[in-house]
Amino acid sequence: MSTLTLDHVVIAVRDLDAATADYNVLLGRDPSWRGEHPTYGTRNTLYRIDNTYIELLAPGTKKGRWANELWKRLEQGEGLYALALGTPDIKTTVRELRDAGLEVEDARDGEGVDQMTGAQRRWRNALAPVKATNGVRMFFIEHKSPPDALPVAPVTVEGGYVQRMDHAVVLSADMEVSRQLWGNTLGVRLALDRTFPDRNTRILFFRLGDITIEISGGAVQTEEGMGKPDRLWGIAWGVDDVQKACDRLRASGVDVSGPRAGIKPGTLVATVKGEHAHGVATLLIEHTPESFRAESRLPQGTAYDNVPQLRAFHALALDHVTLSTPDAMSTAVTWADVLGLPVHGTRDVEERRLRLTDLPAGNAFIELAQPLNPEHSLAQHIAERGPGMYAISIEVDNIDEAVRDLRVKGVAVTEPEFGVREGTRVARIDPASANGVRIELIERRPPVL
Amino acid sequence: MIKKVHHVGVVVRDMDQAMTFYRDTLGLHVHKVETIQEQGVKAALLTLGDSEIELLEPVVPDTGVARYLESRGEGLHHVCFEVDDIERDLQALKDKQVELIDQQTRIGLAGRICFLHPRAMGGTLVELCEPLPETAGAHS
Repeated sequence: MSTLTLDHVVIAVRDLDAATADYNVLLGRDPSWRGEHPTYGTRNTLYRIDNTYIELLAPGTKKGRWANELWKRLEQGEGLYALALGTPDIKTTVRELRDAGLEVEDARDGEGVDQMTGAQRRWRNALAPVKATNGVRMFFIEHKSPPDALPVAPVTVEGGYVQRMDHAVVLSADMEVSRQLWGNTLGVRLALDRTFPDRNTRILFFRLGDITIEISGGAVQTEEGMGKPDRLWGIAWGVDDVQKACDRLRASGVDVSGPRAGIKPGTLVATVKGEHAHGVATLLIEHTPESFRAESRLPQGTAYDNVPQLRAFHALALDHVTLSTPDAMSTAVTWADVLGLPVHGTRDVEERRLRLTDLPAGNAFIELAQPLNPEHSLAQHIAERGPGMYAISIEVDNIDEAVRDLRVKGVAVTEPEFGVREGTRVARIDPASANGVRIELIERRPPVL
Repeated sequence: MIKKVHHVGVVVRDMDQAMTFYRDTLGLHVHKVETIQEQGVKAALLTLGDSEIELLEPVVPDTGVARYLESRGEGLHHVCFEVDDIERDLQALKDKQVELIDQQTRIGLAGRICFLHPRAMGGTLVELCEPLPETAGAHS
């Protein structure tokens, strides 16, 4: 499947002007856009931040296909309304989602008009019925206008503003259904599955680009929870300086508690209380450099790690296994047929002269790599040794430290560079140092507890 | 139904030497070392997040792993997927006429296991496993 991103989040509000005023304060930014959906019967305010955008959505004055739905939602109160998952190719995504068993409506054209400038933006989106997505309203969107059609929301404060979305929290009563939906049907990478017995909580950490979707449920599955829908609950916003954010919000009359140390070592967090967030459970979070190699990111299986070692870096997880193939498409079909693994799209990485196909397999994924050029080293490898297992990719918490440390220990490893996957950096270890195994180290933006 | 990548198998010439990289340099935790007489290998399981690296050193000549090492040298050997019901999955593979190495499941280091033929999987040796109750805890 083409890789999905969290294009934007939609927050349902009754009074758009009041909500806009509150979010201007909360985010420390002015809107990117204040607009109207002529065909939906809705009005909105948009804020583009570093890694996504936020949409405050309210019923408009005219009728339209979304207005009734929205009113129904607002009868239950304001709050997180929908997740918009971005794709570069809506047609393919709809087909792939249907192949994966998800009910999705046909893609339709949409347009918005900015009331401040008269600017227009166009997109195509496809809705999934709420019952098909386990109670979480989702739609898939391909923007037809260039990204700069929606400018970055101007920062209006000295410090303590929202830079990015860190994670979104979904409450789940039936974790197995949620895991199936996000991991298998949507093909989003499950980075961690952790249970915290002392808090009676289990959290699935799915990664959409550099944003984490935390699916949070009880440590033990209860019978009454089975089959119950998920609920969009809250958002953690990444801020540059949480102390400044608290000071400035308090000065504006916002009820905020904190800052305090986050559960994840090295983070500082604050909770926004009261009506200000319009029904969205809201956390502000600041990462310090220490949080990137914090204790909470130690490898799992710590039952055996009786003596914690002081290490420059940590190998966190098997990220993926790369198989070489002369034909990624046909090998994908074989693997899907024999093992029932979902196939998530095939894409050509021109600068690397590779065709890649991903097959998610729970905690890690299988990557099929086809050389697009007969001179490619991978093509020569296939010619000499036949297709098959080629490399493994290991996620580390800090790739710069990892490379430095490995070199000190005499291991030949390449300089870290950006990976073909968004939000990653990679470095390759010389197989001669690793008992003949091609090992790629990969760093991904860490999840937050 | 596949639950996860249970482990990646790596053939090595000398377990002690391999440990200097995988355990000491990469920092992976060794949670099990065992010699499996019937397969003629010494195996070490190293924790890697929610998955594992399995290092295999042949200790008896002329076994599958020994021949592999002889002809292809050290390196990646197989990938093992954990399934929830291996008997059912093996039967399903037989129904689909997938070429298998094991017609019956057997007990291995990862629990109840079976191997598919690399010819069936585009050149990759695939193992399926269903951890036994007493081994299941090793991975959580």
